[in-house]
Order: sequence, then C-alpha cells, then structure tokens
Amino acid sequence: MAQTLDAVTVEAQWTRLISVADEAAAALVRTSFSTLVRESHDFSCVLTDPAGRSLAQATKSIPSFIGTLPRSVRAFLNVYPLDQLSPGDVVITNDIYDGTGHLPDITVAKPIFRKGIIVGIAASTAHAPDIGGKIRSPEPREVFEEGFQIPIMKLMNAGQPDETLIKLLRKNVRVPDQTIGDLWAQLSALDLMERRTLRMMDDYGLDTLEALAAEIHGRSEGAMRAAISALPDGIYRESLQTDGLQLPVTLAMSISIKGDEIEVDLEGSSPQVDRAINVAYCYTYAMVMYGLKCAICPDVPNNEGSFNPITVISPEGSIVNPKFPAAGGSRLLVGHYLPALVMKCLGGIAPDAVIAACGSPLWGMNQSGTDEAGRPYANMLFYNGGMGASSAGDGETCLSWPSNVSSTSIEVTEHISPLRVTQKRIVRGSGGAGHHSGGNGQQISFVSRARDKVAVSFLAERTRIPADGIAGGEAGKLGKVLINGEAVDPKSQYVIEPGTTIDLVTPGGGGWGKVGS
Amino acid sequence: MQKYSVGIDIGGTFTDIVMQNADGSERHVHKILTTKSDPADAVIEGFGRLLNETGIEPSRISRVVHATTLFTNALIERKGVATGLLTTSGFGDLLEIGRERKYDLYDLYQRKPAPLVPRAHCIEIDERLAPDGTVEIELNIDAVATAVAELVEQGVEAIAIMFLHAFANPEHERRAAAWIRERHPEVFVSVSTEVSPIIREYERLSTTVANAYIGPLAEAYLDDLSFRIQELGIDTPFFIMTSNGGVNSVAEAKRIPVQLLESGPAAGALAGAHFGAIEGAEQVLAFDMGGTTAKLCIIDRGEPVIAHSFEASREKRFRDGSGLPISISTVELIEIGAGGGSIATTDQMGLIKVGPRSAGAEPGPACYGRGGTEPTVTDANLSIGTLNPEYFLGGAMTIDRQASDAALVDLGLAVALDVSRVATGVLEIVTESMASAARVHTAERAYDPRSCTLLATGGAGPLHAFAIARKLGIRSLVCPPCAGVGSAVGLLMAPARADRSTTFPGQTDTIDIGKLERAFEDLERDARAIVLEAGGIEQGIEIRRHIDMRYVGQGFELTVPIAASNGLDGAELRAAFERVYDETFQRILPQSSVELVNLRVTVLAPVTEDDMGAQTESKAPAAADPSSGRRPVWFGPEGATDTAVYSRYDLPFDQVFDGPAIVEEAETTILIGPSSRFVRRSNGNVVVTLD
Repeated sequence: MAQTLDAVTVEAQWTRLISVADEAAAALVRTSFSTLVRESHDFSCVLTDPAGRSLAQATKSIPSFIGTLPRSVRAFLNVYPLDQLSPGDVVITNDIYDGTGHLPDITVAKPIFRKGIIVGIAASTAHAPDIGGKIRSPEPREVFEEGFQIPIMKLMNAGQPDETLIKLLRKNVRVPDQTIGDLWAQLSALDLMERRTLRMMDDYGLDTLEALAAEIHGRSEGAMRAAISALPDGIYRESLQTDGLQLPVTLAMSISIKGDEIEVDLEGSSPQVDRAINVAYCYTYAMVMYGLKCAICPDVPNNEGSFNPITVISPEGSIVNPKFPAAGGSRLLVGHYLPALVMKCLGGIAPDAVIAACGSPLWGMNQSGTDEAGRPYANMLFYNGGMGASSAGDGETCLSWPSNVSSTSIEVTEHISPLRVTQKRIVRGSGGAGHHSGGNGQQISFVSRARDKVAVSFLAERTRIPADGIAGGEAGKLGKVLINGEAVDPKSQYVIEPGTTIDLVTPGGGGWGKVGS
Repeated sequence: MQKYSVGIDIGGTFTDIVMQNADGSERHVHKILTTKSDPADAVIEGFGRLLNETGIEPSRISRVVHATTLFTNALIERKGVATGLLTTSGFGDLLEIGRERKYDLYDLYQRKPAPLVPRAHCIEIDERLAPDGTVEIELNIDAVATAVAELVEQGVEAIAIMFLHAFANPEHERRAAAWIRERHPEVFVSVSTEVSPIIREYERLSTTVANAYIGPLAEAYLDDLSFRIQELGIDTPFFIMTSNGGVNSVAEAKRIPVQLLESGPAAGALAGAHFGAIEGAEQVLAFDMGGTTAKLCIIDRGEPVIAHSFEASREKRFRDGSGLPISISTVELIEIGAGGGSIATTDQMGLIKVGPRSAGAEPGPACYGRGGTEPTVTDANLSIGTLNPEYFLGGAMTIDRQASDAALVDLGLAVALDVSRVATGVLEIVTESMASAARVHTAERAYDPRSCTLLATGGAGPLHAFAIARKLGIRSLVCPPCAGVGSAVGLLMAPARADRSTTFPGQTDTIDIGKLERAFEDLERDARAIVLEAGGIEQGIEIRRHIDMRYVGQGFELTVPIAASNGLDGAELRAAFERVYDETFQRILPQSSVELVNLRVTVLAPVTEDDMGAQTESKAPAAADPSSGRRPVWFGPEGATDTAVYSRYDLPFDQVFDGPAIVEEAETTILIGPSSRFVRRSNGNVVVTLD
C-alpha cells in the first residue's frame, strides 16, 4: 500500500485518535452502573472508517470486543448503507450472531458527519446490567430463553429516540433504570467520540480520515505480515476436548501458514448443541485472533489491517459457528478454549511464544433466592484457575485468562448474599508438574446461611478433562464442584437448603517441560 | 525577629532544601545529591551549608517540614523488614492470590506483584466475624500467642493483623494487637482497622502489610533525622508530609508510615495549587515534567483532587493494576513515561515512538556527551533551538548540539525525514502523548481541560507546556518560580491534615442517625487530635464529612459531601447523594433505595498564621531592553522563526511581551509560541496567555 503520510504525522494523529476512544471509554466507565463495565472493563469503544474498519480502540478494550465490534458495525452497514444514515442516527443490536455471541452485550454505533459526508463511525459495546430471560447458566436451549433480543435497528432517528423500543426494553429487564441508564451512557460515549473526532480533524485540517486510515491499516498489516513470515510454512493441526455436557465437546483446529498469511480452520469441531454453550462465529473469530496475537505479535495494534492476512473458517452448524436459534449465554465455557487451542497448534513451531493450557475458562457461581432478612437477591461470583507454564517460567497462580475478570471480594460476597465463605485457599500442587510448573488453582468454600432455599448454577469447566502440559510437562489438576461434599454436574442448576456447603475448586494450569529436565 | 520555615524533599536523585521567611519575600534554595546509603546525611549536610551560607541562626527556624521517597523505594526494591501476618483462618493465601486480573492483556508471562510477606509468615488464626461485626467464632488468643512466638523466633520485626469484617468490629484485631504490643514492644504492629478500616479484604490487607513492611524503617529513620536536626541547634517542631497533601507529626508518621509514600508528589501538587491560586485560577492542571516522567494532577479551587486508593511498586511502571493496592487518601496523580531523557526510536510499523524508555542521567541524552547515542526529547529541543547550549542548568553544564543532530539524523534515516522534521516530530509526538493523557485523565474526573489553567514545573515542563496548552485548548499557562524545587516549596504551603474512614453499612430509609453521628464523631476526635499534634491552629480547624454511597445493588460508590451538622435525616442524606449522582450521571433513579458504605472525615487546620500568598519577588529590575538576544527556533516543520530570548530574572514586572519568545532561567526554559502574550508578575509567576 502506498504510504503518503510521514512517520511523525501518522504517529501523532493516531495517538490522538486513540485518545478519542480512550476519552469515551473513561466517560463510559465513569457513568456505567454495570459492575462488569466498571471493574472488569467488559466494554469497548471503537472508531471505524466509513466501511466499518477499525481505526482506533480504547486501550483497555477487552479482546473479545476488539474482534467483534467492527464486525457488528459492518453488519449495521449491510442493513443501513451509508446513504440511509442521517446525522443523529444511532443503530443498535444485541443479536448474538451480529453482536458478541450473547445477549447482555449491547452494541451501538453512530455515523460521524463532516460537511454532509460520513467520515467515520463511533461504536461501543457494553455488558448491560440485565437483559431479562433466565439467570445466566448453560441451561437455555434456545436464544429465546436467554432474554430480550434487539434486531439491528435504529435506536435514534436523527436524534429522536425510538420510544417503543425503550418501553419494550424496560418491560423486559429486571433493573430497567440501570439498563436504560447504561444505554444512555453508551450514547454519551458515542457523542463524545463524534465531537472529539471532529475537533481532531479541525486541529489537523483534515476533511477525511482516508489517508490516515490507509496508513494505519497499511502499516499494521505490514507489521502483521512480517510477524507471520517469521513462522515456518506448513499446516499445523490439533484438537482438544472440553467437559461439554453429557459428552465432551471436541474442538479441532488447523492453522496453515503460507508466506505472510494464516488460515485457521475449525473443521472437525463438534456440532452445535441445545444448551447455551454455543459460540457464535463473531466470538470464535475474536478468541482465535486473541490467541494468535498473544503468541505472534503482542505489540501490533488491532485493526482490519492486522486482521487482513488472517482468515478464520468455521463450519456452519458447528459449536463454533452455530445457526439460529442456538443459545450462547455461557459461550465462554467453549470459547475460552480457542486461544488455548491456538497455542497448542503453534507449540511445535514457536515453542517459546506459547504457554501450556490454563485452568480457564472463567469460573462463576450464580445464585438467586432470599437473603438472611428474607429479601430477594441474585448475583454472580467469579473466580479463576491457574495459568499455564511456559519456557519463560512457572504459570501464575489464579489469574484470569483469556478473559480478565477479578474475583469477587469475600467481604462483599458476604454483604450481598446470605453465604459465608469459609476458605479461599490456593490448592498447592494443582498446577501440572514440569520443569516449570503450571499455576495453581484455588478452593473457595461456602455455606448457605439463607433462611430458605437458594437456586445455584455454575460456570465451571475442566472438571473431567484437565489443562494439558506442553513440552513434556504434566496436566494440571481437575476442578471440582461439590455440594455437601459430593461432586455434582456443574452444568445443571441446583436448589440448595439452608446449611448446605458448596466447594468450588478451580483447575490448575498445565506444566512445561519434563520434571527435572 | 524574622522567622524561617524549611522544606526538605528527598527525591531519587536530588535532595532539595528550601528556607523562606514568613511572606515568602526571602527564599534560599539548596540542592544536593541524595545520599542513598543514609539519606539523612545529605539532609544534614545541605541544611548545615544553607545555614552557613545565609548566616541565619538556627534559633530563627520556626518549623521544618519533610517529604521523602525513601519508603516508596523500599517497597519497589523490596527492602523492608521481615514481616509476619495474622489473618482469619481459611484466608492465609489472600496476598498471593490477589485480584486475579491481568494488567497486560497480551503478556502471557506477566507476574503478579511479589507478596511482601512470604507464605510461611502468614499465619491463620481461629476467629470469625459476621458482616455486621457479630462474633461467630471467638478469637483464639492462644493461637495468637503461638503464632507470634514463632514469628519472633524467625526474626520477624513487624506483624500485620487483618481479620475479615474487622471494620464492623475491631475488637479481635485490637486484642491481638494488644497482646503483641504488651509482650513484644520491639515488634512493629500494623492493624487493618487502624490503617484502612474499609471493606474489601485484599486491598485492606495489602495496605496493612505494606505499612508493617516499612514501619520499622520509618521509626528508625525519622527518629534519627529528628535527632540530627536538633543537633544542628534547631529545637522546633518537625513535621512530615503525607500523601493526602497535609502534614502530620513524627509520631503519627511513625504509626502509619504508609501515609508517606506519595509525600513528594503531594507536596509538588500543593505548590501547584498555591501558584495557581494566586493567579485566581479555579481549576488548574498541574503538569510536572522531569528527566524520565511527566506527572499530571487536577487542582480544583485551590486543592489537589484526592483519590482514596493508589498503587505502589508497580511491576510495569505505567500500567494500572500491576502494583500493590494502597487504600489511603492520596493526591491523585497520573504518571506518563515522557521526560527530557525519553528516547525516540522507531517501532515495527516504521513510526516514531518517544519513551517510556529513558536515557536517564547516565548516559543521558546524546548532547551530554557521556556516551548516549540515541536521540532524546532534550536532543530534539536543543536541535530546534529552544535550549541554549551555553546556558543549560544555568550554565552549570555545556551540551553539544552537534551530537544531538547526529543522533537525530540516524533516526531520520530510518523514516526518511530530515533532521528538522525529525526534531520537530519528536516534540510533536511527545506533546501529543502528554496531551492525550491529560484528555483522558480529565474525562475520567469529568473536568474540561479548556476551563483549566496549565501550571508547568520541572526541568522540562515549561519547555513543552505551551504546545500542550495549544493541543488542549487551554488559554492560560503559568510558570511559577523555582520550577526545579517545587515539592520543597509545596511543603511550606501544607496545612495539618488527617483523613479517617470506616465502613458503615446501612440504608438511608432505615438509618440510625444517632449511631451515624457517633461514628462520625469518633473519626473526628481521632483526626482532630492528630491535626493538633501536627501543629494545626485550633481556631482554624475545618472538618469535612463524606459518605461513600450507592444505589442498592450497585457495585461502586460515589463519595458524597455531607454537611457537618446535627439534625441530618435519612431523606437529606438521600438528597445529598442524588445531587452528586445527578452531577456524575446526569440522572437519578427515584425508585431505588440508597445505601451507605464508608464514612470519611477530613480535618484540616493551618499550621502558621503567615500569609504565604502575599509573597513577592524582591527583585524588580528596570525595563530598558530586557531581551538578551535572539535565536532561530523551529516551532513547526515549516521553518525557523527568529525569536527573542529573555532572562527570567531581567524581566520587569507586569510588562506585557508578545510571543514567540524564550525565557531562560537556571532550572528550566520557558518556550512561548506565536500568537500569545506573556508577563512576569511580582508574585513570581510568568503568565502566558494564548490567543
């Protein structure tokens, strides 16, 4: 690609665009109700060109949305081409296929007009405080059970909100004030991105962002191609199994590297299932890209330029590209294995760029019932397992990967639920043995002090199939979910009596290298 | 007889000592290299020299205020004392587990901050409190006895105590602490409810443990320094700056030394607040830029914005979440990896990046001629003509422009640009990254930079402030005097201050106001005693109350100011909350209940009746032609502009000059771009107005 701007101009203007997205992100975090947005940064703000190709994203954006958000903008543009967008329009969806793979993530986008022409699009995804439907668990069989669905439509029409949509949304969620409030916070973030982008263009005397976009995409693509070229050509196939439901889920992947391009194919993966662990293609794509980036080029920016040399193919109707109306609320129970599978495929050719499997996915326990005072309550607690080891060293203890969610404070847990936490201890030796050991998981033990029954469901994996080691390292220890000391199937919902104990044991990460080698 | 106040700031490289009279009209400054082996050595030597040089009698020193980075460095270098921990049974691993979040999304090999206490010294004790403080399992004092005996046996010098929900009932922590203090007075005891009685166990634990870890160091150092200052013949109160921008007594500083971690930057922010306030600026963006980093701090109506937590000892210096959480009140600063020594280089996309890698003082920028070959921000400034090679650091050092140009030419070859374009480009990039950081930081706090005054300090601050002001749309730029010793000057501006907080769960519709009032009074009594001990003038005491509140079910709180008066009821608390809520979110939720989480009290009092704001500079030279010459300066890549050069000391007061201009002084250089005016005021500030 022809480069027309010099190294100083591009760097300064690009830095400015990133600050536009960061400023919007700061405003969104400041004004969001959702704890996931505020504490775990479960959101993203992105600025794209008029074709929906990302130019700059907020620095703290999480990997899943980096991959999905520009795709959502392009899906919006398929429904509303540029000539059908007016100043003040905002398009919205939470469709799991065009969005992020599960309904709580609401995506909005706004065209940025300058002198009557669309020069860019401001877009944001954020995890809503609630979206209605069943409490999060793997149980829903169809997306209809998972909550309120918003097709791709205009939330704002030339600055006027669609009141019908807002009424319907309010009626369908448990905390309407907070959910609608967060939606307005997202819209404020879009407005801010619009104003700041226009001011940036004023300051630099730009009528369009085309030349800058070409530089950003061209230079990122060049860096990505250089990183890929450093890897040997070939086709590298691996597969793994997850606990799944009654039967394990198989994920198969082949990574073919040819010159400066990569094709990832998930042919051979299990068919979609009638539970909410299907991974819509958008999330599959994001997770594969995240794994590749960590291993190959952690410092190259994310945008369509760097994505260009990489293709991700996933067979339709598979668990990693399901068809409507497959449910996906607990997609992370499968999707979080994809970056690990990328590592497994690349282990042979880039042994120092990968880590052993982690005690991921994210673990969680959802409860709803009445508290000690008899008031209704519901909440979700999160925990993590151990990281995989690598040639660089031992795996870290209890660290969130590939997602990035902190564990819930014990004191806060006991304030917001009728549970007592009796221990939160590292399970020593749960990381796989090796020359470098895998990271240890942990055990969190609860006892219910509720006066009545409480419904509990879990996000839990690797209770049957452990995190593999690499280069001769051993697998990490399995995770466990125990109710009154008995192991239970973590994919089902349970109703527990007062005094019941629950133990969550998160899995250890895999080891690296033979013990003593 | 004229009395003098003395400020002593120990930084990583220099120890600054400032001595000034009551109205600031007489100020003496001494800068000396910090003595790493025993930092008190440099203090005593510098102080002694200053007394000698000025001939001021030690008896005329009315107070001494001190700030130091010593304890921050002890945390970074993990050079605190062997420390033990007593904690609730079942939870001995909490330090090691941490928050479980990554601070770098793409770094597979990142390490959590290493715990300050090894696992073998974390001992679980049988005891348990319910969230409301009810005792569910009695404290097993025998277990405390056994644990302490074992820790002491192993050479532990400090013990931290953190029990779950202790903020709701400190009794178990108190009993355990009393047991240790009685039998082992030589052991430093750090108790979570004394240090940071706030909900969220990991953050409270981390703070309490850090306090223990540096406790014995602080005791030994402060005792020694107090003694040696007395030996100089100065028999006057000695105060310590704390991170919240207040001064405390030595006794309080020794009790909770974790409050001292950010004392230097807090003093710098106070100096910024002072010099901004004398210009009548409501909101100030204080910008300090040195050799390695730049710092930004928002000052609102004369006071630095305060945060209730920060991080010490980060694994990755500029990365949030990579440090040890410290939950105490602190002046809120952000740090950016951009300074005069920041190195410019190319990345894998063929773009120029500046910093965060720095050439530091050794080898330093290429122009220092000490072996540095990579171009730095200072080299770029020298190359475009803003720095005077004959008058660098007031002429204390000569720098080599040819060496700068040579380094920049090499960088230019990599990106096909000539030397002037590279030099102006490096400056464009470094100012853009600082302006961007300022935009994001002000957005986080809901301030608009355009309504702020930019206040520039540090050796490199006034060189880059004009460009940053332009980028942010700021119209007013203030360059205070003694840019290089701002923190030491700020020490003299500090009031006595104590912040106290506690967790106080409840809802506004069911609150027991009497209990709330008593809880506030307890905090105030404690804080007031500390302020008086720190020399606060009783008649000037000001008390501020805040409550952290939220709608029930939300995972975060807003800090709401509450009028300190009797007769407050639940409805008024709710209304106060909703006012702040509306300001933040532009909406309220009328149907939701409101809950209280933490109570916070600030007690402030002036420590002197001197009016520091009245200060003037004594020298007011006559105005003939104050310019000391002209030189070409590249304000942009288009070409050089012939620019007038002034010495700050020769500028007459209140006479308006037009930009572009360069104003040179011993510690820094002020770069003033075109389309602007500037004036030197009798209060010491140089004020630049941008069109």
